[in-house]
Amino acid sequence: MIEIFRNMWRRKFRTFLTIFGIVIGIFAFTVMGSMALKLNKMIDGGKKYVTGQISISPKGASSFGGAATGTLPIDTMNKISEIEGVDHVAAMASLLVSDPDPDNAEMNFGNPPTIYGADNQSDFKNRNWETMDMREGKMLDKNSKDDEVTVGINIATDKKLHVGDIFNIRGRDFKVVGITEKTMTGPDDYVFMNITPAREMLIASNPFMKSLYDSGKLKLEDVNSMAGVSWKDGADSEKVAAEIKDKFGKDVTVMSPVKMGEMIDKASATFNAIILGSAMLALIVGLFSIVNTMVMSISERTKEIGIKKAIGASPRSIAFEYTMEAGVIGLAGGAIGMGLGVLAATIVNNKMAEKGAEIFLIEPSFLVAVIVFSFVIGVVAGIIPAVRAAKLKVVESIREL
Amino acid sequence: MKMIVKARGIKKSYRMSRKNIVHALRGVDINVAAGDFSAIIGPSGCGKSTLMHILGLLDRPDAGTLEIDGENMSRLSDKKAYKIRARKIGFIFQGFNLIPTLTALENVVLAGKYGGLGKNERLERARELLDMLGLENRVDHKPNELSGGQQQRVAIARALINNPSIILADEPTGELDTKTSMEIMEILKRLNKEEGKTFLIVTHNMDVANACKKRIKLVDGKNA
Repeated sequence: MIEIFRNMWRRKFRTFLTIFGIVIGIFAFTVMGSMALKLNKMIDGGKKYVTGQISISPKGASSFGGAATGTLPIDTMNKISEIEGVDHVAAMASLLVSDPDPDNAEMNFGNPPTIYGADNQSDFKNRNWETMDMREGKMLDKNSKDDEVTVGINIATDKKLHVGDIFNIRGRDFKVVGITEKTMTGPDDYVFMNITPAREMLIASNPFMKSLYDSGKLKLEDVNSMAGVSWKDGADSEKVAAEIKDKFGKDVTVMSPVKMGEMIDKASATFNAIILGSAMLALIVGLFSIVNTMVMSISERTKEIGIKKAIGASPRSIAFEYTMEAGVIGLAGGAIGMGLGVLAATIVNNKMAEKGAEIFLIEPSFLVAVIVFSFVIGVVAGIIPAVRAAKLKVVESIREL
Repeated sequence: MKMIVKARGIKKSYRMSRKNIVHALRGVDINVAAGDFSAIIGPSGCGKSTLMHILGLLDRPDAGTLEIDGENMSRLSDKKAYKIRARKIGFIFQGFNLIPTLTALENVVLAGKYGGLGKNERLERARELLDMLGLENRVDHKPNELSGGQQQRVAIARALINNPSIILADEPTGELDTKTSMEIMEILKRLNKEEGKTFLIVTHNMDVANACKKRIKLVDGKNA
């Protein structure tokens, strides 16, 4: 082992450059991987939620709520609740906490702060996602008043809110009654409130809707940006969703749990492929730099290999020695690259945490995998040069003596 | 007397190009008995080094038979050759050929490791040998911190650590001045006389050859 370090030290600059190549690759891998982990966690949280209910949105609206370009009339929802297999239908009104400012646009990872106005009087329950863990206070329930809100942890951190504080949203004051525990997913950026104030704010935010409402053509209870449909025990969610689509397909977009799950999986697979693919590219470059270094160092050390073989070294021990040297280069580069990656991710996360928008998830098991992986990369890069060293003809290498 | 090396009709040629074939050995016979202190002598290009490589299992003959310690080596696979080299043959080269990154002690210990000695055993024996060769104060020095004579003494210790049946020395004094050369020859002679070690020394230096008990002369790849 000592000899491996001495051999690496012999050509300090070259070893440094090779390790540096791996450092860059592993740095990219750590950072990108942590970003992928965070996004996957968010996506998984979202998936758990959307696969626990049948989601219905007005035709033309975004399936994830947000900007309301259409509404879901209460009549339609009542009719849907009569379909066989449907247990409950709960309306929901959502909009951004504040309108985006085009003059001061900023890049946002994850969700923008969103108002989640839920019909807390309904008996609707998402099958996968019933309640939330609370950091402070309580979640809204049937007895909650219209001026009460429960705030996601990211918003609470950003606005320095605690239970009992007043939170002004779109010109209205709300009393904070709860702050949710961190989920690393969508709800961290939600403000939960009763549906009525959310509906009112939705109307106020949209001049067209406002004019309809003022003229009495639009009723408050018709202002719903989405609805969740739960199915009865024993009913097949896909059949229920198909039935709703069959009857109301003209007016609403129906997202069945399976379909939503597939859509999310596809999106996250593409995303992971892009992130990890780019990191792998950096690593492959690093791998070839190790191969190059090892081939050069073996041709420099032909004489030594000859001596070792002459005094009785087995081909296997020669191969092992060079493979381990490459492995150690990989490991050193990996450890430094990972350290820098964690450092960078932590700094960025701390900076973003003020806004409650961490973009990296640093998981110990991932870091261990990165270290093991960097060693394996080194070993793999070392195999071909090492086998070449092991196969060197003793007499030919001795002739260089 | 026990025969350590018995070679019969050893031939070896090298194809340098399509039409240029060099016949390095054209049927050499050689016997080395236990306790011998022999020199292989001859002019440059007579095949001394080629013979040394074949006897040391570093190369294979095209024809002929070779026995070491009574074992037939003619059909030995490369995979087994390294074990025989490690345990039965000690090498001393002209250019010392120590591993530059290792200390004197580590160079000797490494050969012991290849020869299958246990960790403590090889360390103990390496120290013993270096002490015996007057290098007790140089054990932690790297080759570039040692003189030519000291390096060659480390190489001798390395050749001895596995207690081999024979020590092959290829021009062991080739890179040393006359005084140091004679010191090295004295060490080898002492090892032969006091410890009964068997030596086969390739040289074109007549002083070295004359210091040996027997001389085997090669001319044009044959016994002269």
